Amino acid sequence: MGNCCSDDAGGRSAVGGSTSSAANPTNDAVDAFLRSRGYNGLFSQIELSLSATNLRDLDVLSKSDPMAVIYLKGIDGLLQELGRTEVVLNSLNPKWIQKHIVTYQFEIVQTLVFRVYDVDTQFHNVDVKALKLDEQQFLGEASCSLSQIVTKSNKTLTLDLRWKEIRSPTHEQRFGQLTIYAEEIVASKTTTELKLRCSDLESKDLFSKSDPFLVLSKITESGVAVPICKTEVLYNDHNPKWKPIFLSIQQVGSKDSPLTIECFNYNSNGKHDLLGKVQKSLAELEKLHSVDTGENLFISVSVGQNHQNKVIKSQLFVDKYSENIRHTFLDYLVGGFELNFMVAIDFTASNGNPRLPDSLHYIDPSGRPNAYQRAISEVGGVLQFYDSDKKFPAWGFGARPIDGPVSHCFNLNGSSHHCEVEGIHGIMTAYTSALFNVSLAGPTLFGHVVTRAAQIASESVANSEKKYFILLIITDGVITDLQETKDALVMASDLPLSILIVGVGGADFKEMEILDADKGERLESSSGRVASRDIVQFVPFRDIQGGEISVTQSLLAELPTQFLKYMRARGITPNT
Amino acid sequence: MDKAPSMVIEVTVISAEGLLVNRRQPVKKNAYVVVRSDPFNSRSTGIDPQGGSCPSWNEKLVMDMPMHARFITVEAHSGNKTIGSANIPVTEFSGGCLPENYLSFLSYRLRDANGEKNGIVNFSVKARGGKSCCSSSCARPWIGFPAENKASNGIVMGIPVLYS
Repeated sequence: MGNCCSDDAGGRSAVGGSTSSAANPTNDAVDAFLRSRGYNGLFSQIELSLSATNLRDLDVLSKSDPMAVIYLKGIDGLLQELGRTEVVLNSLNPKWIQKHIVTYQFEIVQTLVFRVYDVDTQFHNVDVKALKLDEQQFLGEASCSLSQIVTKSNKTLTLDLRWKEIRSPTHEQRFGQLTIYAEEIVASKTTTELKLRCSDLESKDLFSKSDPFLVLSKITESGVAVPICKTEVLYNDHNPKWKPIFLSIQQVGSKDSPLTIECFNYNSNGKHDLLGKVQKSLAELEKLHSVDTGENLFISVSVGQNHQNKVIKSQLFVDKYSENIRHTFLDYLVGGFELNFMVAIDFTASNGNPRLPDSLHYIDPSGRPNAYQRAISEVGGVLQFYDSDKKFPAWGFGARPIDGPVSHCFNLNGSSHHCEVEGIHGIMTAYTSALFNVSLAGPTLFGHVVTRAAQIASESVANSEKKYFILLIITDGVITDLQETKDALVMASDLPLSILIVGVGGADFKEMEILDADKGERLESSSGRVASRDIVQFVPFRDIQGGEISVTQSLLAELPTQFLKYMRARGITPNT
Repeated sequence: MDKAPSMVIEVTVISAEGLLVNRRQPVKKNAYVVVRSDPFNSRSTGIDPQGGSCPSWNEKLVMDMPMHARFITVEAHSGNKTIGSANIPVTEFSGGCLPENYLSFLSYRLRDANGEKNGIVNFSVKARGGKSCCSSSCARPWIGFPAENKASNGIVMGIPVLYS
């Protein structure tokens, strides 16, 4: 046990039982693995169940024996096999039992490809994993993105199976349909909140009282105790009350699985003295709370060869026990919440003349997208799936429209009344046409654009719409109106709005980092108001180029957390 | 005396962080918060015996606020001392573009009597029965200045006025 408590410097804080870790319903091992592969952010495990109807019949004497294979399509277009179902014998309407777990990542488009094969009788004794797919008869293929499934209210998506080789419409109908049902793994949502305290602890320190902390471990089937969380250390306290700890059912296994709760006296050299322990399951702790009595701790003492448990007078109390279901990002999407995408583009003169190839706004005749176009299509490509009407407000700033003074928030489509354009394609068209219709000017001001976005967000709140807004600002330079922007951001921090800033070009983006509060202090406006939460995420484009993680991923990684923070602080549940 | 028209505000004082006494030492215990809606009308939270310099209260204070009020004041106290205060413009949680009964989560920087930064207070406010102007027209609030008739030391202040 010494291992899990051998603290490094700063190891006195609570670990594992905090709200934040419980909010990320993931397996630690998977989590670590994904991080090592360069994935970060919020991921949920999604279990996919497959069924099909009206498959083609390829067997002469009997019906087809179908098996489905799930692939993930990579950015390079290559297919990576995720898993295979079992073979269902003689069925044209199979329901496969084998489930598949896919890690859902908000920030990337995960294209799934499903292929259904008829497995010939001669292969039926072969393990499905060992089957060579090119020896099997192909029944059809279907493709969708994972976000398409999880945003459906019944989490079910039905796709037509296709077969590339035959294009004739008469054959189309006979390939049948594939139905995919997705479910987030349930255990991850239930969280137990525990408030523990001890009384009459022993003194182990020479000149002062003990410095106690608790370690909770679960006992695996093989009898090994695996620590799952520990509390903070309280100093010189023989009747300590620790801060609440949050355990998800997934962390502990089940409500009835035994947990060891050990109370240690903190020692800076890492050799913590055991003050006593108890073994209780969550269910027993709940009981302890309901009858409001303490449980005596015990210590193991060895008498000769035997180990005995000696009960001591120190007691453990459960001051609070409550179970609640923490709604995840996906719950809100299924409950009808939408993400509304907005975009603002920098038209300041520092971008360079758009007609010259060295300009950041240069439209390459060969069709190679410039940095602005890339950022729009990458971020928009992910977010458009969460916006049902696909009408995106699009603005430009820092330029002079044909007849007028410099505007710091003009509609990209040239209209004076409505700022919305249709789809990502609409943004692209409006952007290129705006390049010809405005003359680049300056300075770089964000305040107007942020205020405009905040206005839209607050109107939506006033109409009690289930919407959350995301403003993408693409800029090439440092802002001039730092304080105004801060004021606007602080004001917007109380609204359902997140702001993503992409910096393009080679400018010094130090000022932008200040706006992104996860690198420093909370934003403060000139009136002394402080941002109630972090709503800005800044990424310089060059940081990512050539790296493994795409701009989109690092930009969008924080978004679900920002969304949940807003919803939870207000007590908004997915079904309200 | 006529009672001035008033509205009811619900201030939920959530927590504070980084409170100091005498600019240096962190507050040890028993910090509390007083909210004032006008000089004669204030409510106080209980003390937080445990939180030290980062206390939390989660206490809802319901109070009247005169319609004409421009600010409410939030003060952090330790013992009998005011260690920091902040003025919150009423426009932050009522009127303007905000819908009626909107729960605003606000955080404010506290400053001590010398104007030095001293921690942050987190609270939420809901204004009930407020006459909120419709969300479409965010009218500019009427700005009034008290006419000073005593202190006349010869200086005239010019105030820019918007006209259309």
